[in-house]
Amino acid sequence: MQTVTLKPKKEIKISVEGENISADIFSGKTEKEIHALVAWMGNQKTTIGELFSVKVEGSGPAADTKIILEGDFSRVKRIGEGMTAGLILITGNVDMHLGAKMSGGKISVKGNVDSWAGREMKGGELIIEGNAAYYLGAGYRGESCGMRGGKITVMGNALDFVGEHMCGGEIIVKGNTGILPGLSNNGGKIVIGGNTSRPGSEMSKGTIIVNGKVEEMMPVFKLEGDEIVDGVTYKKYTGDVIGNGKGLLYVK
Amino acid sequence: MELLIKNGAVVDPVNGNKGDKTDISIKDGKIVKTVSSKATIIDAGGRLVMAGGVDAHSHIAGAKVNVGRMMRPEDSRSGISPRTKITRPCTGYTVPNVYAMGYRYAQMGYTTVFEAAQAIMKARHTHEELEEIPIIDKGALTLFGSNWPTMDFVREKDMDKLAAYVSWGLLASRGFGVKCVNPGGGEMWGFGKNVTGIDDVVPGFDVTPKEIIVSLMKVNEMLGLPHSVHLHCNNLGNPGNYKTTLASMELANQVKASKKRQVMHVTHLLFNSWGGTNWGDFESKADEVANFLNNHKNVTGDMGQMIFGSATTMTADGPKQYANAKLLHAKWSNGDVELEDASGVVPIYYVKQISVHAIMWAIGLELALLTKDPYQMLLTTDHPNGGPFVNYSEVIALLMSNKKRQEEIKTVHEAVHAKNKLPGLDRELDFSEIAIMTRAGTAKVLGLLDTKGHLGVGADADISIYDIKPDQIDPTVEHAKIKSAFSSAAYTIKGGNVVVKDGQITATPLGRTYWVDAKVPQQHHDEMMKDIVKKFKNYYSMQLANYMVQDEYLTHQQVVKAGIIPAEVN
Ligand SMILES: [Zn+2]
Repeated sequence: MQTVTLKPKKEIKISVEGENISADIFSGKTEKEIHALVAWMGNQKTTIGELFSVKVEGSGPAADTKIILEGDFSRVKRIGEGMTAGLILITGNVDMHLGAKMSGGKISVKGNVDSWAGREMKGGELIIEGNAAYYLGAGYRGESCGMRGGKITVMGNALDFVGEHMCGGEIIVKGNTGILPGLSNNGGKIVIGGNTSRPGSEMSKGTIIVNGKVEEMMPVFKLEGDEIVDGVTYKKYTGDVIGNGKGLLYVK
Repeated sequence: MELLIKNGAVVDPVNGNKGDKTDISIKDGKIVKTVSSKATIIDAGGRLVMAGGVDAHSHIAGAKVNVGRMMRPEDSRSGISPRTKITRPCTGYTVPNVYAMGYRYAQMGYTTVFEAAQAIMKARHTHEELEEIPIIDKGALTLFGSNWPTMDFVREKDMDKLAAYVSWGLLASRGFGVKCVNPGGGEMWGFGKNVTGIDDVVPGFDVTPKEIIVSLMKVNEMLGLPHSVHLHCNNLGNPGNYKTTLASMELANQVKASKKRQVMHVTHLLFNSWGGTNWGDFESKADEVANFLNNHKNVTGDMGQMIFGSATTMTADGPKQYANAKLLHAKWSNGDVELEDASGVVPIYYVKQISVHAIMWAIGLELALLTKDPYQMLLTTDHPNGGPFVNYSEVIALLMSNKKRQEEIKTVHEAVHAKNKLPGLDRELDFSEIAIMTRAGTAKVLGLLDTKGHLGVGADADISIYDIKPDQIDPTVEHAKIKSAFSSAAYTIKGGNVVVKDGQITATPLGRTYWVDAKVPQQHHDEMMKDIVKKFKNYYSMQLANYMVQDEYLTHQQVVKAGIIPAEVN
């Protein structure tokens, strides 16, 4: 078992590329080696050691590595990018692209996450106790597949375009979401506990379940009647009918 | 500046060299008989030396290419490398940025590349990009197949006016040759329709694709252009289209070549050699197409080989691209060039386990293996339609090694066993045949064999050296080494400058842009211009005065003279 604790040495005002903060990269490394890892700050090349204090206990493979991020990481992007195993615990907020492209392991955040968290994620788990911003579990610009596997849970709210271009996996938002969750979906499941507006649209596959209020419906879904899912009765819609889509939308 | 390449195993089919140790002398950017003792010496150490690669069909610059970049930011992210002291930053895989186009071709040992389709109206954009592509020499073929003036003059059977229009269109676009894409189809797409064969009548113009193709071939030869008509057949991408392809190639017999080359080049034949009637009974007819070529020396073709993985289809064939986007549920961009053409861009991902893709992949290889004369079947991937050009080394290795093909066949959909002849083909190409498909043949088809595609005295000093010793390697077995060597040249020399060493760019001189200045009798030009002026007055949304590409757009131009009036000798 290896535990690595990072704390910012001073307030970070310019965004930092944190793709090297990952269990795969930290595992088996000494404090000195982690210090030397590159971390770009804006257009300046710097190191993890320059920006953060690093404490390492024990050593182990990625699956047995725990990273604890204490303090303010709200300007650190791409944490856990491409991670395949291990655990990251974040006590505060983080910047964009948390856990992007991760395929395994677990990231848990006490605070809020900025846009694109879990983008193009293939596996593993993301647990966000606060709120998520835009494009949670979506595909980045131009990408035809967003999230492909794994699970994202948000205890709070999320902003617009949750799971855009999603092709697999599961996103659960306990609170409300912004407009167009599940836009252009081609698989996977989105469960919204609270309210949203204009869910779906351009869906070819995939499932969206809304337990709160849908403020506005896109006129591209066909009402199929009532259906009971997990003991709850929903109105079941299919669409997007314009593209002959087979997406499922359940509204309470 | 003088350079001497010693101890190279030179493969130069034009000059009959099959790998003998031959020294090559270079002076002032040309290959010469001898150099002085002051020449810089490169010791090739028995490694393979060929003329710089020449690509006769690729999409490297212009409106479509840039639309591909705009609609595929995810592609741009896939090929990023930062700037160095001498190179600019690179992006992209299927639609690289302009710098990457030049660097990556040079890194493969290619020194000349032709953009295969520019609309006259969009030519300024093409040349803006060509000007920024480093190192390689280049040029662009101009689209004439669906232009209103073309169809008017074809209907009026006025070959003098059509020749004058082609001559003027080449000047207006600073184009190198006549490209004809789905003739008539581009116009019909403006009304949501397409032509299905070469005998369909284009409404409003009362001409058929057959008449357009034959007329363009006639004026191409009247003008004595270096390259022949370059045809993208009607019906491309539809099962059963091989019949249209054969009927189109048959038209070549109606016209006599004005030069020692083909009268028709049919491009990316992989997409035109399809049997069956739908995607279910889809099968290869590469054997029929190759058989035609084996019996008709006046037609050449190129493979348009498919590469598994990401590609971006882009073509002036607008209706085809709409069908593709619907079929694939993919992103789609449509373009309309007023009075001239249509276009479309659609990303695609070719998958080994999809039967249609596997059959297509095998068709490309069959074309190359069943066409006896490599001068008639050039190596292309129709970049980026079949796949990005950086994969040429993969195609070379497949053509040189049946072992590699059999290994690949095991990984693709089993349909290739029933629908293709590839599994039973044991032909393995040698270095000379590869040199023809990538250098001598491409240069000959383009009409540039005097200075490109070979290593004889007087040729441009465009040379590539690959890290393999032909007398010590068995390409049929060591295909991995072949692939790696052809993907990254040990040396690329462009115009006498070392531009690549050990796969790394060492210098970035700007190459030249070739275009053809074809003169016609003044009276024909004046008659034709009356029609053009009328078209601009009545239909074009721009002024004639703003239409022509000016000299400012070509800072390093290489003008090739042609035309009905013999060009004066300067
Ligand atoms: Zn093409």
